[in-house]
Amino acid sequence: MSILSLTNVSKSFGETTIIKEVSLDIAQGEKHAIIGPNGAGKSTLFHLISGRYNVSGGTIIFNNEEIQNKPPYEIARLGLARSFQVTNIFPRMNVFENVRCALLWSSNYRYSFWHLLGRQGELNDHAMGVLEQIGLKDKALFPSGELAYAQQRALELGIAIASGAELIMLDEPVAGMSHSEAENAVGLINRITEGKTLIMVEHDMNIVFDMADRISVLVYGEIIATDEPEKVRANAKVQEAYLGEVASDA
Amino acid sequence: MGIAKKISIWLAYLLLLLALPQFSDSILAISIYNQMAIAIIFALSYNMLLGQGGMLSFGHAVYFGLGGFLAVHALIMIEFETLYFSIIWIPLIGGFIGLLAAVFIGSFSTHKAGTVFAMISLGIGELIAASSLIFTDFFGGEAGVSGDRTYGPPLFGIEFFQDVEIYYLAAAWVFIATLFMYLFTQTPAGRMANAVRDNPERAEFIGYSARRIRYISFCAAGLFAGVAGGLFALNYEFITEENLNAATSGRVLLMAYIGGLGYFIGPILGAVILTLMNSLLSNYSDLWMLYLGIMFLLTVLFLPRGFAGFIMMHQIAWLNGSLKNLAVPYIITGVPAILFLVGGIGMLEMSHSEEEIFHYLGFELVTASLVGWISLTVMTLGALFAARMSLPQLRDAWEEANSLSQTEGES
Amino acid sequence: MLEVFIFATLNGLVTGLLLFMLASGLTLIFSMMGVLNFAHASFYMLGAYFAYSISLHFGFWTGLIFAPLIVGCLGAAVERYGLRRVHQSGHVAELVFTFGLAFLIEEAVQFFWGPDTKNYQSPDLLDFPLFTLFGQEFSAYRGFMIGISILIFIGLYRVLTRSRIGIIIQAAISHPNTVANLGHNVPLIFMGVFGVGTALAGLAGVIAGPVLTTFPGMAIVLGSIVFVIVVIGGLGSLAGAFIASLLIGLLQSYAIASDVGMPDLLNLLGISFGRDHMLNDLWTMTLPQVAPILPYLLLVLVLIFRPTGLMGNREE
Repeated sequence: MSILSLTNVSKSFGETTIIKEVSLDIAQGEKHAIIGPNGAGKSTLFHLISGRYNVSGGTIIFNNEEIQNKPPYEIARLGLARSFQVTNIFPRMNVFENVRCALLWSSNYRYSFWHLLGRQGELNDHAMGVLEQIGLKDKALFPSGELAYAQQRALELGIAIASGAELIMLDEPVAGMSHSEAENAVGLINRITEGKTLIMVEHDMNIVFDMADRISVLVYGEIIATDEPEKVRANAKVQEAYLGEVASDA
Repeated sequence: MGIAKKISIWLAYLLLLLALPQFSDSILAISIYNQMAIAIIFALSYNMLLGQGGMLSFGHAVYFGLGGFLAVHALIMIEFETLYFSIIWIPLIGGFIGLLAAVFIGSFSTHKAGTVFAMISLGIGELIAASSLIFTDFFGGEAGVSGDRTYGPPLFGIEFFQDVEIYYLAAAWVFIATLFMYLFTQTPAGRMANAVRDNPERAEFIGYSARRIRYISFCAAGLFAGVAGGLFALNYEFITEENLNAATSGRVLLMAYIGGLGYFIGPILGAVILTLMNSLLSNYSDLWMLYLGIMFLLTVLFLPRGFAGFIMMHQIAWLNGSLKNLAVPYIITGVPAILFLVGGIGMLEMSHSEEEIFHYLGFELVTASLVGWISLTVMTLGALFAARMSLPQLRDAWEEANSLSQTEGES
Repeated sequence: MLEVFIFATLNGLVTGLLLFMLASGLTLIFSMMGVLNFAHASFYMLGAYFAYSISLHFGFWTGLIFAPLIVGCLGAAVERYGLRRVHQSGHVAELVFTFGLAFLIEEAVQFFWGPDTKNYQSPDLLDFPLFTLFGQEFSAYRGFMIGISILIFIGLYRVLTRSRIGIIIQAAISHPNTVANLGHNVPLIFMGVFGVGTALAGLAGVIAGPVLTTFPGMAIVLGSIVFVIVVIGGLGSLAGAFIASLLIGLLQSYAIASDVGMPDLLNLLGISFGRDHMLNDLWTMTLPQVAPILPYLLLVLVLIFRPTGLMGNREE
């Protein structure tokens, strides 16, 4: 059962084509990694799926609904959440508020200006629950802009998963982290995406081979292989694209 | 903060408002209180846009002015008994048209924030201010529109002839408006406004249309600005094109910014300070606008979080109890700084003075005399030098007062 | 009828070119630094006042040379010590800073020169009619205004497109980081561009002062219009600013010169309303009355339908 299908998706900026006729089917509950050299268009692909960019061609179907060219907020409401490569939080609000805001829409508050948030017990408990999951409970009232880098990444994750989205897209979630921080982060990701579908862009091959059910390799805007990790590792085209990088990480 | 503490703060606010006339009930004092009330509501409404929502508007006076104009016309209608209701509802009438105008104008001006929004607001502001001179039936042309607030039905025997009676009405409206504007910040729409301010892109990715959120803030801000305009009409019984124009918009920007945008109490502070400068300082010096301009620019450069921000900077020191350690360093830097200001202002005032003898703070100098110039210049430059020299010790004391909390927090 | 048209066109040209002198500096500054200098018209005003004071002692022509230089230096100082500080706090803070600056300059001008209108005279050398058409004179001074504006633009164009510094500036407009990495002193370039932009505004003030009157409100009068032009022409497009300047200058000139109004339109349609009609103000509106509003109307329409202006390409 495909939760997300891309069919012949292309994206061009003026004369330059970044994504060329990409087709991909992600099964529900799958943990899917997207890898590829820098500049291959991985972030662009994420932007296309999450609504930041419009497609130049092709369709993207999420849970049987076409979502290409829809604004990000509409797509988010359908149950698709994403995190960003460069930390993208609400710096002037504290950690608790960051997460609580992420919960608002899915808790049906819409654009209410008559509910007093202090009195919404269920919502607040839920937010605290998320904070506990991401390990930031004791930093609840801390201004998020002043968190340490790894903690900000954890918050980034927290905002993405808070709404209970079915499909979670993480863009290089452990970028810039030390080895132990990355280990913790991976543990966190595994815990919070249990039962959900995960698409992850990642460079660290160890993590990729550890976590992914399937891997897609994106090179110059085209997917040259989509398969289980071992088969991708053995794929000649992939080896060529990476100039032996994949083989040496074995 | 516990609910008891919150309620007691609001109660204290209410009591302060009601008790103000006890401090002084001279005509001047009451007039200042009324001006403050109007300014507070206006500035708080502006902060909904800028401080809370990140939208810089150069045309907020439109909603204030329109509120005032409709309010005055309502007063006229009451006078001629076309309509008959108590004038205590007049600010609501102002709010109504403020809201209506914001609903219309916001529908096309809130697509983007930032520079585009600022320019649209400027354009609309100028457009409406200029149009007001054409549509003289509603706007009264250059002479404006005037009314009389004493024709409405009496409220418990009060006919609102006196300004102090208007003050109590204004106090009630200030309290209600402040309360509602504060409560708005605690709602989903209010919080998301902050989120959209901080990061409009991310806000969209958590399911909210940034445009819609901005639109809601915009309409709310227009409503409360209209309330302030209505109160203005009650107080002065008179309104002109000036109350819609860019100068008034500029003034509320100044108030909110000087007070401090990031804090709810900031605009209240700014409104109070500016009203005092406007009414008291202007009696002592023709140059008060120049001082205001200098103060504003210095605030933008050195105190970007305003006076409220400056006060809140001391929060950490206060929480550790090390605030008293800052007292002496502040005095060491503060005294020369004050002398510098006194000298500088003295020089400006003297060069502006048209009289033979220049009176300044109880001293008398012959205007533009060599003695006068030398003494003032020496004082100003000397004080500046002393203040600069004393900065390092203040900086050290500051770091120490704030660092205590760091070590404690990490243990 | 023809004479009205010709003179309206000439006056519109004078105004339009003057507006472009202001708008060009503003556009350069915006393109390069992303800040819309609210105080730009204030530098224009300073140019007029400095030139006035200089001209009292040394004559108009000395003022013409030195006043823009003084204004330019002031502008560079503002960038170096003021704007640069505020830059890290974002665009909103920059706008508020330049707004505060405009306010301060207006007060300072009143402090140093007084609130009255100054008798800033155009030079005797140019005090003759350039030509007479249908009995109306066109003064040589206005011709001079047109001439010098055109000279400046040609100079600006050549510097930007032919000279090395011009090419660096054009590059820094879209890719300041790359230009910095290539070893150019981008902050210095910023300071220079701001200085030149404000000097241009000052120059506009020097030549406009005698014609448009020198008084403390002169910045406000032109300030908003210049913003309108820069926005309509496209935030960041010099060509767009040029077209918009001429458009606005001519539009206003024609509107003021014409006598057309709503009554004419209603007559054409065969409708008439009584004097007591509620919207009487609307039905008796004439074009000269509406002239001051036209630029703002245009601004709002353009911002609604084409937020990047007519020719701009700078995304916010």
